[in-house]
Amino acid sequence: MKQAAILVDVTRCTGCNKCVDACVNANQLGDPKHIPQQESDGLSVHRWLAITESPEGSFVRKSCRHCLSAACVSACPVEAMYRSPEGIVLYDQDKCMGCRYCMMACPFGIPRYEWDSAMPVVGKCFLCNERLSEGKLPACVETCPEQVLTFGERSDLLAIAHERIAKFPQKYLPTVFGEFEAGGTALLYISDVSLDFLGFNGATGDEPYPELTWNWLEKFPVVSLGTATLATGLFWIIGRRMQAKLAQQQTNQTPEEK
Amino acid sequence: MNNMLRTWIKDGLWAIVFAAVVAAVIRFVVGLGAGSGLNDATPWGMWIAFKLGFVALAGGGFTLAAVVYIFHLERFRPILRRAILMALLGYGSFIVSLIFDLGLPWHIYMPIISWQHHSVMFEIAWCVMLYFSVLVLEFSPVILEHPLFKHKFFQVILHGLHKAILPLVILGIVLSTLHQSSLGALFLIMPHRVHPLWYSPWLPYLFFTSAIAAGMMALVVEGFLVERWFKRGMHFDLLERLGAWVPLPLGLYLLLRLSDLFLRGVLPGALDGSWQSILFLTEILVCGILPIGLLAIKKVRESREGLLTSAILIIAGILSQRMSLSMFAMRQSTGLDYSPSLAETLIAFGIPAAALLIYLFFAENLALLGDEIPNPQATAKLRPLWMFSQDTPGRIIFARRSGLATFAIALILPAMLNLPISDTSANAVQPAIGWETLRIDGNQTGYIVDFPHVEHQERLTEQLGSKESACATCHHLNYPDDEATSCSQCHTDYYQPISIFNHTVHQKSLGGNVSCVECHETEHVRQSAAICQDCHETMTAQEGESVFNPFASSYKDALHRRCLNCHEQKAVELDKPELALCSTCHTYYESDQLQTNLP
Repeated sequence: MKQAAILVDVTRCTGCNKCVDACVNANQLGDPKHIPQQESDGLSVHRWLAITESPEGSFVRKSCRHCLSAACVSACPVEAMYRSPEGIVLYDQDKCMGCRYCMMACPFGIPRYEWDSAMPVVGKCFLCNERLSEGKLPACVETCPEQVLTFGERSDLLAIAHERIAKFPQKYLPTVFGEFEAGGTALLYISDVSLDFLGFNGATGDEPYPELTWNWLEKFPVVSLGTATLATGLFWIIGRRMQAKLAQQQTNQTPEEK
Repeated sequence: MNNMLRTWIKDGLWAIVFAAVVAAVIRFVVGLGAGSGLNDATPWGMWIAFKLGFVALAGGGFTLAAVVYIFHLERFRPILRRAILMALLGYGSFIVSLIFDLGLPWHIYMPIISWQHHSVMFEIAWCVMLYFSVLVLEFSPVILEHPLFKHKFFQVILHGLHKAILPLVILGIVLSTLHQSSLGALFLIMPHRVHPLWYSPWLPYLFFTSAIAAGMMALVVEGFLVERWFKRGMHFDLLERLGAWVPLPLGLYLLLRLSDLFLRGVLPGALDGSWQSILFLTEILVCGILPIGLLAIKKVRESREGLLTSAILIIAGILSQRMSLSMFAMRQSTGLDYSPSLAETLIAFGIPAAALLIYLFFAENLALLGDEIPNPQATAKLRPLWMFSQDTPGRIIFARRSGLATFAIALILPAMLNLPISDTSANAVQPAIGWETLRIDGNQTGYIVDFPHVEHQERLTEQLGSKESACATCHHLNYPDDEATSCSQCHTDYYQPISIFNHTVHQKSLGGNVSCVECHETEHVRQSAAICQDCHETMTAQEGESVFNPFASSYKDALHRRCLNCHEQKAVELDKPELALCSTCHTYYESDQLQTNLP
């Protein structure tokens, strides 16, 4: 599988939260009815998947989008956030320092932190990576009674999504949400309402987020070499000039002293 | 400044440090959530804002090193050492602060072994690590000159350091350039979080130029403070020169910042009258353009008041930019508010307080201030950090310090006991959608009915035998675009409880017209029918209920039951009969329409 993905058909979701239940059980996130206080969109370190309400009142899945070029992966200084060969954004808590840059960088505001622990970790959807390797479907996909979720190769799902939109143009908005946002995400949505609210502070742009910092970081060799050369050069040139000046002063002074 | 005042100021700094130590213990015992105000919506807060401030103020270190060594302006040498020390303490504060901020600080070495060069944070980790080492090397001659280190071994090191100073300085400049600008680049990836008036694709350049300005001005303020404290070591002529040059980096910073905002069309947002726009305008006009104007006037610049005022304004403006960017004007992912907790604030202030004490320690003991008067107290041994005056007896100092420590602990501990410890049960309010109660606005009128979802699930599961068929009762998807059956399909009658026994379905499933005898022994009327339990073994009639369950209560009763039971109970309990009156929820003039006062 080149890029694992999930297609979410928002129009089918009844908000029954069975996917959340399944997610909690599959990932052993504790009591499914335990809702920590530090949340207002339903996500927390104990809840990697939440059903939120759009401004229009539709039920919309909110979870890690598994961006094709993920801001969190590029932000993490120690490769604790990384992409698996299947394109799943995974997390290695043995490497994590807890700087929370991934949380700051995520354009969807997804990663959550274990604030009430003295040894905290980051929590977010890992697309049931372990279940996949056992040949099973992600827990949420397997559980959904309404066939809201479809799991598969991203390109296949994109085709399905566009097909459904073409077949029922009056039912769906003509956009596959997640096809281009933030450089494309593995979570694709088709919907009758705009899903821009899932983005952080309005719609998320199409440009891949890692490029924002890479544009600067790729200048590093030039900047460091440039600064070093400039500093050495200036030191040398100014030093020589001052020596010359000093020498000249001395030669000027010598006759007078005579 | 008299000795008494000095003692009090030092005591104050110590008190903050003690309090911060208590807060630090709390933070590590209870975790970040209870030890700070940080939360999922605001993962970075006060500590990051302060860190940016420390590093900006440390900018004088590499600037002065460049002035003295690269530009050969030897006359600035007297204030070079204190500039290096400021940088050392600034970066030291950054690192200490980081230890509190990191969730797993014992993994702080990870950037050394697990490289991820696409991360700005990775570059920062390395730059800080290397630059701090460079600063230690640059500063260590000051320590090694002390008579305490007159052994030959130290003198060899000292000699080597003097030889290596130029490469060290150049390395320090390169690392500082990278690091100061990278701190700005850290925020490039979060245009969604940083307020538009502070966001800029040129943040690295803004941070670099402003760090030079802030570092220079920090040296000016430091000069004044040192003079006040030690009655020497100010070097006003040098500080005045710094004041004359600072408009260059500061002007460049302002120019870059304003022109970027203008080019991207964000600048009109500065005039919208919001508090952010006022803060922004203050930063630019009062703390940027005004001091440049002041410093341009020779008379003002050469007056002590003029120079100090300009320096303070510039520092305030740049610190405000750092803190607004990373804290005040930062936008949050969800509606959760952020306000720094007591422990967080104490730690944030405790670190610079400790840095000030260390500065005083060095200044009192070492040849730091760069004037020709030898430090009379720098004799054979270093005076311990906790002493505040040569002639105060040790026991008095001990009494004062331990008193302060006790006071700090006594003050902070009760606050710790009030910290919000996360409680799994303390969550009375259910989310808008979800587990136990769904909020349903059936008529789409904005009036919401709480639908006891779990209750329905459990009852139907019991009645129908399996969870699947329970779900399918309402979520059956046999209609096009069906989502969920409306309440009225079961609660058909508004006023009367109603049987939801579906005769047609039973008839069909039992074989059509020949199936009557399956249930009806004699006449084809309800009274003659077999009770449900004959076939559905789990279905038992409750006391007072018909054998022909399941009954759905009337629409009206179902709705009322969501609120009224509890209201009636509370009305008796609290002796507040008005809680159970119809008019509590229904306004009398619209009695036929459900008009609630509830949200």
